[in-house]
Amino acid sequence: MNRRSLIVFQEDCMGCHACEVACKQEHNLEVGPRLIRVVEKPPRYFSIYCHHCARPLCAESCPNTAIVRDANGIVRVKEDLCIGCKSCLEACPFGAMQYHEGKEVAVKCDLCYHRLLNNDLPACVSVCPTRSIFFGDAGDIREEIVSRIIP
Amino acid sequence: MEGVKKVRSACRSCHGGCGVIIHVKDGKVVKVEGDPDSPISHGSLCSKGLAITQLAYHPERILHPMKKVDGKWERITWEEALSLISEKFKEVIRNYGPESIVIGQGTGRDYESHLYRFANLLGTPNVLTAGHMCYVSRIGATLITCGNLPVCDYEGEPKCIVIWANNLLWSNPDEYKGENFWRAYKKGSKLIVVDPRKGFLADKADIWLKLRPGTDGALAFGFLNIIIKEKLFDEDFVEKYIHGWSEFVKRVEEYPLERVESITGVEKGLIAEAARLYATTKPACIQWGVPIEQNINCTDNNRLLTALMAVTGNLDVPGGNVFFVPPPVRTVSEFALHKELSPEQRKKRLGAKEYPLADRVALVTPKVVWDAILTGKPYPIKAMLLCGTNPVITRANAAEVYRALKAVEFLAVIDFFLTPTAELGDVFLPAATWLEQNYVGDFWKRHGYVVARQKAVEIGECWQDHKIFQELGKKMGQDKWWDTVEDSLNYMLEPSGLTWEEFKEKGYLKGEMVYRKHEQRGFSTPTGKVELYSTILERWGRDPLPRYREVPESPLSRPDLLERYPYILNAGLRIPVYFHSANRMVPWLREIRPDPIVEIHPETARKHGIKEGQWVALSSPRGTVKQRARLNDGIDPQVIVAEHGWWFPEIRDPGHGWDVSNINILTDNDPAGYDPVMGATNLRVLLCRISPIEKEEMV
Repeated sequence: MNRRSLIVFQEDCMGCHACEVACKQEHNLEVGPRLIRVVEKPPRYFSIYCHHCARPLCAESCPNTAIVRDANGIVRVKEDLCIGCKSCLEACPFGAMQYHEGKEVAVKCDLCYHRLLNNDLPACVSVCPTRSIFFGDAGDIREEIVSRIIP
Repeated sequence: MEGVKKVRSACRSCHGGCGVIIHVKDGKVVKVEGDPDSPISHGSLCSKGLAITQLAYHPERILHPMKKVDGKWERITWEEALSLISEKFKEVIRNYGPESIVIGQGTGRDYESHLYRFANLLGTPNVLTAGHMCYVSRIGATLITCGNLPVCDYEGEPKCIVIWANNLLWSNPDEYKGENFWRAYKKGSKLIVVDPRKGFLADKADIWLKLRPGTDGALAFGFLNIIIKEKLFDEDFVEKYIHGWSEFVKRVEEYPLERVESITGVEKGLIAEAARLYATTKPACIQWGVPIEQNINCTDNNRLLTALMAVTGNLDVPGGNVFFVPPPVRTVSEFALHKELSPEQRKKRLGAKEYPLADRVALVTPKVVWDAILTGKPYPIKAMLLCGTNPVITRANAAEVYRALKAVEFLAVIDFFLTPTAELGDVFLPAATWLEQNYVGDFWKRHGYVVARQKAVEIGECWQDHKIFQELGKKMGQDKWWDTVEDSLNYMLEPSGLTWEEFKEKGYLKGEMVYRKHEQRGFSTPTGKVELYSTILERWGRDPLPRYREVPESPLSRPDLLERYPYILNAGLRIPVYFHSANRMVPWLREIRPDPIVEIHPETARKHGIKEGQWVALSSPRGTVKQRARLNDGIDPQVIVAEHGWWFPEIRDPGHGWDVSNINILTDNDPAGYDPVMGATNLRVLLCRISPIEKEEMV
């Protein structure tokens, strides 16, 4: 698997929040952590989500090496190692890191790793009515940016 | 996941239609996904559909029938529930006649087939739906004008799309979903948006027409004026297919652009530019929404937009507004057995004389029902059966609705939860969600498809609505029902040559589209033409030509109110995670939108010392409600835009806060403001004032 990530083309996000609910359902999350979140400022909408950074500050800030970027470029939390100190929540420049009150651990987007293994798209990408969320490797994302910006 | 069975089905969290894959494990739905093979939604799915498991398995969902004893709900069997209702209905029929029973539903749902069949066999002409001001009003108006409802043909690739008062990416535009519009738009079509508020689409539009709320009809006259004056119309079509062209032109001439500008507040040069773009870009389609129907100009607004489609030659051409050909299944109208209702009973329909178009499409406007309950005139209403509707929240003048439903002698309600309306009932019947039913979905719509909705699970003792009407009908002694719901589906599907079992394997059926049907057989109107001059309205003694009327409570019609109520309230702003009054109890959705929102211009906020997010009091001459302020500089400073549908399931008393944030506490249902032939209620435009609430004493 190539290193992959997702990008939200904000100009096409119309604020329906389908991505959020698809994510909640896929990860079996109750009220609280929002691994992708749409912020409303009508007529525009902005998404807060994990960019799976090449040098993830969340991982760097973790005192217990509970956050790792795996061979596929997916930044993941090892829940059994997380001590719930929330250093990563402070470190993330995108505000994407979330905290699970029930489990007392940090939680974050894992790009629906279990879906990728079945060749399915991440849940948020799969439902977006305006196809504003794009998933691919660095090259795909670069090409998509170019094709969307230059009509 | 191990042991997961996947069931292909169709959502109905709104009106329905989107394709879904339901994941079932150990007899329980664990997940729903969009179905990439759906011709309607292509794999996309909205928050409402995605959250269905939290609704279906909600701890407060009622899973068995109940009756009220001494003000308290008690569990009963289906047998007892159906007996209670049928005994009461028989008593009312004996003493007053079947017309004293009202059968009602809310927003368009495909149990309309079984609901109407039950009502017609019962012999009551009084079916109360949302249709008087939503969708059916559109069908009625286009039926008398061009014989059918013209729908945007997004697959036909329009080059110009006019979005007239519709947020179709969030709400359900009744036929196609917003996703189809988006695909057409992304292929490079021009976009014109008519909306008092700068929403997502207005922000993207090539031309945004920011009109004063409620003046859509005048704006349409402005378009027509330019199109006629500059000869941008399709001369060949007009000559062959328009009835009453010269009279119509004369009427249009009464609305010169200067007048239109003064009514709508839209600069006349911009109106002309939009009219030219629409008329000269081919093909072009108009996608319209309910705001233009929820007021005094309902029928004429619909007729004016139809006129625009017709005169520009965009009617029933690829990429224009078309009459989709339905698949070969029985129509909802045939299934509903409208012919079983005797002419004598039909004549008794409440408001039939006043609102002949509502009578034509077999429904009643709400106020005639509330009046009959509260005054006994023209005859008393003694019993009601309401399915999937919460009129205490969703109909105009909520205080009167509440009084009437409290006063009616017998009320049975079919729903998932004890809503503020259901709490007023005597019998509660638990309905199945779309996860728990077999049905030929969408067969009441006009987009050319029917879709298979398949039962994935059964939950509690809930029955699908269709079964409830069927079993109650049998209990009443009606003999035109089947043993099972699936038998009724076989009957519905018969012309296609498919059984239910075969159809559900197939997933959907599509009608074979033929364009320009008028070239073969004209239009289905009395003259065979598009009747811009309506012979039917003329026969009813009404104005055969469209006109613009000022809404009864606006700065122009009621300047005397402006001192106390200086703002124009535009009510009914849509919310992406809710559908009308539904879903407030679903945790995933409520987390996204916890509170009702009212949008005000930053200047208005400054004037009244209101901060972003602060609770404010909104008042009209009818009452006061509270919502939370959000600043939006994309509206006129005199306009205030408020959400509808709010009640609070978490408030434990039986009212569930029905009057706290419910915008219909503010709306009026005085018949003076109704559409004169349809009886459409004004749910949208009125005068209001706003003030901050200092102490947050809120829920």
